[in-house]
Amino acid sequence: MTDHRFVGRRYESAPFEVTEASIRDFMQAIGDLAEDGELVAPPTYAMVYGSGPIWQLWSDQEVALDVAHLVHAEQSFRFHRPVQPGDRITAEGRITAINERAGMEFVTFELAASDPAGRPVSAATTLFIIRKP
Amino acid sequence: MSREPSVIPAFERIQVGQSLPELRKTVTVEQIRAYAEASGDRNPIHLDEVFARSVGLPGVIAHGMLTMAFGAQLVTDWLGDRRRMAGFHGRFSGMVLPGDELRCTGTVVAKDADARRLTVEVRVENQKGEKVFNKGVAEVDFATEKEN
Repeated sequence: MTDHRFVGRRYESAPFEVTEASIRDFMQAIGDLAEDGELVAPPTYAMVYGSGPIWQLWSDQEVALDVAHLVHAEQSFRFHRPVQPGDRITAEGRITAINERAGMEFVTFELAASDPAGRPVSAATTLFIIRKP
Repeated sequence: MSREPSVIPAFERIQVGQSLPELRKTVTVEQIRAYAEASGDRNPIHLDEVFARSVGLPGVIAHGMLTMAFGAQLVTDWLGDRRRMAGFHGRFSGMVLPGDELRCTGTVVAKDADARRLTVEVRVENQKGEKVFNKGVAEVDFATEKEN
């Protein structure tokens, strides 16, 4: 069981440089090749520029999440503006809840992504479930 | 992929209850690997068959976020503009395995004419009719021209 005292722990990534290649790789991977003039990242690309804090959480030896039994249970996004090549995005992650129900553990992680001026780009909430080994 | 401009919906003509053109996807091991590379999520449950089985899974499974990306594409293909997506959430209600044939469907469930916003329900089912992405809700904004 993950210790409740880690609720509130924060992780911040180095700024993520959005490139055309990164957006196109993502579009290829998901099979969404639509393009209308300007290249705009697909909405769920938010998990690409937000992946830094998620990896920090997963590899945090103190929190020691059981990643092998981790299931992505729920996901929520709010998109404040489109993301395009040339954007520089900083993502901050925070553990906002750790609960246990029916022998399973529920960990809520919130991501806030912003541009260099501090304006919000997107916000995301992830619910992870740690399955019983 | 190019789109016919005529299929892009005008806000005024969109009706509550209307269905979105359905989107079908067949998930492959190659696609899961490509998603791991493109997204940076290289958790071995998506990449290593032996490891996945060792932690009680039937084999490698697709990232939930890949399924959610399909659900988002259902909506943005219909809109013809990724900028109009203001919010998206949902639950991963079943595992997606290589070879699964997914069917993404959506319905307009609310329309706010004053705010020029829509709510679209999104579902993804596998070939057995099991929901793998459930209670999906996309919020669509026709009000603002979002500029960087």
